[in-house]
Amino acid sequence: MFKDLDPILHSQLRLSVVSILMTVDEANFNFIKEETQATSGNLSIQIKKLQEAGYIEVKKTFLNNYPNTSLSITNKGIEAFETYVNNLKTYINPK
Amino acid sequence: MENSTLTPEESLLLISKTIEETKQRFKENGHIIILWGVIIFAVFASQYIFSVIGWYKKFDIIWTTALFPLAAIYTFIYIRKNINKRNLPKTFLTRVIGTLGWTMGANFMALGLFFSNQLGDAMAPVFIILLAFSMIVTGASIKFKPLFIGGILLNLIGLGTFFISKDYHGFSLMLGSVVGLIVPGILLNKANKRENV
Repeated sequence: MFKDLDPILHSQLRLSVVSILMTVDEANFNFIKEETQATSGNLSIQIKKLQEAGYIEVKKTFLNNYPNTSLSITNKGIEAFETYVNNLKTYINPK
Repeated sequence: MENSTLTPEESLLLISKTIEETKQRFKENGHIIILWGVIIFAVFASQYIFSVIGWYKKFDIIWTTALFPLAAIYTFIYIRKNINKRNLPKTFLTRVIGTLGWTMGANFMALGLFFSNQLGDAMAPVFIILLAFSMIVTGASIKFKPLFIGGILLNLIGLGTFFISKDYHGFSLMLGSVVGLIVPGILLNKANKRENV
């Protein structure tokens, strides 16, 4: 039986962002932009969607007098990611 | 990167590729390890030379108390700049190595400044064993065998130092700095360069 895949995670850029945040405690916007090769505008929109879903936490601070946006995954985000991966497995190895 | 939807296979591939690529960014470089190895070697080699030519009393304290804090300040600035410049994220690994680094540094300073009388002849072996401990943990954390093995050898040198006269403790520290810090540091730099080609 195939399970529905979370539409929030089932998009290339949002899934990349969450995958990166699963690997680290906290990452800033520029690091994620470099890793995903996304444009700032598109990345901001996708980050907002993930934040609204409660999957990531966004903190805006200042670092050396420059604005610094740091992102981290929430417990809800971790659970959603794990469920998403488990559901993916049912598509690849259906029993 | 597009914001397109994916097939299940593409999703899994993207997840594993992203996680692997992100991990590659956390490679430690051996620069700081080599620096500390050279500083320790320089301090104790120069102390030996000073003692041979009779300048020991004049330069010992100034030399030791100047070089170690200078290296500590440089290490702090280097790490801060490096993290900011490369936008490096905070990870479990950076937290472990960072915490290990500053607790070791603080303990070395406290032992050297306030407990040298209590430690007496055990000062050098305790110093080497603490250093070995940090190298073993760092080597195991970043999964780099030469650093791990260097740490174990350094630990053995530290234990062996208890059995030799205090007059030769400087030589143990010099040997330890080469075996446990300088050689593994150079190998770590070489390994990273090879991966970046």
